Amino acid sequence: MTLGALLAISAGTLVSSLAFAGRRWSHLWLALTLAGVLFALTAALLVLSGARAWEWHGPILVGVEPAHLRLDAISALFLVPVCVIGGLGAVYAREYWSDHHQPLSAARGRAWWSVQLLSLTLVLTASNGLYFLAGWEVMALSSFFLITLDRRRAEVRAAGWLYIVASHAGTLALFAFFALLAARTGGWDLGPIGARPELASLFWLALLGFGVKAGALPLHIWLPSAHANAPSHVSAILSGVGLKMGIYGIVRFSGWMPVPASAGWALLATGAASAVVGIVFAFAQTDVKRLLAYCSIENIGVILAGLGLALLAASHGEARWGQLAAAGALLHVWSHAAFKSLLFFGAGSVLHATGTREMSRTGGLWRTMPWTASTFAVGAVAVSGVPPLNGFVSEWFVYLGLFDAASAPGRAGWGAALVALALASAGAVALATFVKAGAMIFLGSPRTKAATFATESGNWMRAPMVLLAATCVVVGLLPMLVWPAVARAVGAWAPSGVAPAAPAALATLSRAHVALALAVTVVVGLLVHRVRTVGLRRSLTWDCAYAVPTARMQYSAGSFSAIAVGWFRWILLPERALRRVRGALPARASYIERIPDLVLARVVGPVGDLITRFAMTARRAQHGRLQSYILYVLAGLTMLGALASLGGAR
Amino acid sequence: MSGFVGRIALGVLWVLLAPLLPGIINRVKAWVAGRRGPPVLQLYYDLHRLWQKGVVQSHLASPGFIAGPAVAWVAVLGAALLVPLGPAGTGLSFRGDVLLMLYLLALGRFATAWAAMETGSAFEGMGAAREVTFAVLAEAALVAAMLALSVQSGSLSLLTMLVPSGGAAAVLLAAGLFTVLLAENCRVPFDDPNTHLELTMIHEVMVLDHSGPPLAVILHGASLKLLLFSVLLVESVLPVRSLAPPASAALLAGGVLATIVGVGVVESLLARFAFRRVPLLLLTALLFCVFALLVAWQGGVA
Repeated sequence: MTLGALLAISAGTLVSSLAFAGRRWSHLWLALTLAGVLFALTAALLVLSGARAWEWHGPILVGVEPAHLRLDAISALFLVPVCVIGGLGAVYAREYWSDHHQPLSAARGRAWWSVQLLSLTLVLTASNGLYFLAGWEVMALSSFFLITLDRRRAEVRAAGWLYIVASHAGTLALFAFFALLAARTGGWDLGPIGARPELASLFWLALLGFGVKAGALPLHIWLPSAHANAPSHVSAILSGVGLKMGIYGIVRFSGWMPVPASAGWALLATGAASAVVGIVFAFAQTDVKRLLAYCSIENIGVILAGLGLALLAASHGEARWGQLAAAGALLHVWSHAAFKSLLFFGAGSVLHATGTREMSRTGGLWRTMPWTASTFAVGAVAVSGVPPLNGFVSEWFVYLGLFDAASAPGRAGWGAALVALALASAGAVALATFVKAGAMIFLGSPRTKAATFATESGNWMRAPMVLLAATCVVVGLLPMLVWPAVARAVGAWAPSGVAPAAPAALATLSRAHVALALAVTVVVGLLVHRVRTVGLRRSLTWDCAYAVPTARMQYSAGSFSAIAVGWFRWILLPERALRRVRGALPARASYIERIPDLVLARVVGPVGDLITRFAMTARRAQHGRLQSYILYVLAGLTMLGALASLGGAR
Repeated sequence: MSGFVGRIALGVLWVLLAPLLPGIINRVKAWVAGRRGPPVLQLYYDLHRLWQKGVVQSHLASPGFIAGPAVAWVAVLGAALLVPLGPAGTGLSFRGDVLLMLYLLALGRFATAWAAMETGSAFEGMGAAREVTFAVLAEAALVAAMLALSVQSGSLSLLTMLVPSGGAAAVLLAAGLFTVLLAENCRVPFDDPNTHLELTMIHEVMVLDHSGPPLAVILHGASLKLLLFSVLLVESVLPVRSLAPPASAALLAGGVLATIVGVGVVESLLARFAFRRVPLLLLTALLFCVFALLVAWQGGVA
């Protein structure tokens, strides 16, 4: 009852905030939005700390179906990032997308933000196919309008269109999925279906629809451009929360429905491929927000691999490694939401200050933007999955599951070992990617005037970054705090319904992390003290004794990843334009390299062109000459007659 | 080894032993070349000297320039404390500590590369780019080796999983891990610690701008990492942990000495490879480790 009241208040506050999205009342909008997310967050945390799941049957609202909402541990687990990023993004946008800088779209942005939060909550709580689809559609539309807030720019509009088309292709699969499910179960109401193995094949449709939303390879075509061109707070919620709705769908329906035996393998393979290909593309990018977007594909891959292993375990009757992998995957949902939103906020702060997303046009920003630099560094360590931050904890669980499964004989062992190798390589590339991103933007000397005169963002933008960085550290040092929540969600998902006990090693890992953090603090302190004692002299950077180094001589984002781009040429397929230095008095030389998205440029583009060309050919038949049209009708009638008489003859 | 004092003692043991190894390598190289060479304890003297020296630092560097080496050193020491040092055991052992060790080494790499990029030097950029890129293959090989050990012992903790099986798996692991040791510690044929051409270096070029105490920390961290990899290699191949303490310590010391002499001999006989051949060699190491994994599976089935 209290849960229902909390959610109702939250929804009411968010709906009423819509009325105050205008410029004059923007303070009130922020207050109402924050209140709304706090109420919903309280409800979610209550469920995750052991309160009984909430269920509500209401009156008929959509079509002929009565409303049916439910908040169980799985919904609650996904609701937490919605609330956290929803609230922090609203705070961040107050400065980042302010009425002063964006007079045309700031109010619109606030209104769609509220709609986005409402629709996300509806998707997570809907327990009826029609309500789910309604929420899903509103979510897709509000995301579209949020992505295209700055619609004067052509690339923003293009990214928005690509998003809405891809998103609807996915929604189409979901329509088919829910309609078929309703036809076969006799109602739109959703819930555990029980032993109906003939429904298992429907899971593939769900996987297709939710895979598009999650951005799993090769359904990710909309993701890089949408994340890169959207305002940064929108990128944060798209990546930190929006992609997770796809994951939610997969988790939800693989828990409620029987799944095909090969679903685990499919998820495992998709996950491993998304992780490796996603991070390789990320490393090759020079635009920081595209880099972050491709890195999201990698993290979705890690989550999918964990879920796939859990499904595989269920079909092998091996509960233990499945639970570890599932817990790792679900915890990674939280980890990724925290560090990726933090990184998008940081990238937005840099974009705000310098006006560019190109890493090779920034540099040396640590001096002018120390808050952004240090919180981005925390995010970079977390996303690289190294201890002692949250990224390592969730990946550690997934690895534990994989290593355990690798000891199993037969195909499962093989698969798990291969995926472990893939994730390990992806992790190493992720580290390289974020050394590159952090170093190019914040270290060295400024490469452009804009970077030289950058100024730090204000408190509205700083506070969300600091809070998220603190979250990364706290979850990393004290993972036991979040374990019960994740365990309840795993319990609600697993067919057995039993929440797994905390692995004993988790407490030890936590102690090791705390010890590591303490040791780092002490040793850094000692070394700084020692350097002060022996004396510090500032001088030029040593560049082979060259005395006048310039900012342009620094390593650029492209050169940093050149070796890896060379290794992965066969999949990155870079487009190069090289003008060599020729002759005794050479003209300007140039070298341009860009890496188009593999699936978009090589598959979707050509196929789309083919369809357009076919349609243009077919269009010639429509020319407006009445005589020919009568001929078409005659020919059609003759053919029908022939068909009918032939059919009659048999 | 447990208890706070025990762990500190173990850490001190690692810290004190590590700088011996580079001295031995230099001795071996000098011996092969017919020179007298520096004393075995040379690195201890160097560290002492650097600790007293002043620091010159680039105008561009942020506080991360000093913090980086410190973080990297702590990370490598932390990783070392998870590896059983013969009869002395580990500082901490739990299910899954092998992953913590691998990722602590990654943390060290992150911090080193970050500190290198602080100066805005193209040379250091090159070094950092090479380090983090080649590490992708080295890490895959290392994970494959750990998978093989985990499968053949049925354990996920370094204290119990370093149980050599003998036979083909041990030979394959030895070959794979030795190659990874050379790559991760930037020895010939991957990198030449003695070269004077910045363009061709990996690790050495990343630390060009460091001086004084931070450089001492970096050099010590490098020797610690070398010791860690040698111990890991020896314990994956030789039955160190199953012997009585004195014999175990002797076998470990002998094994590490043999490994280090091997590094010195390789360094004396081989030249550094061209960079385009480095990935091939690392892939070979990965294949050795994957084949060790296959053998481990076979052992489990038979």
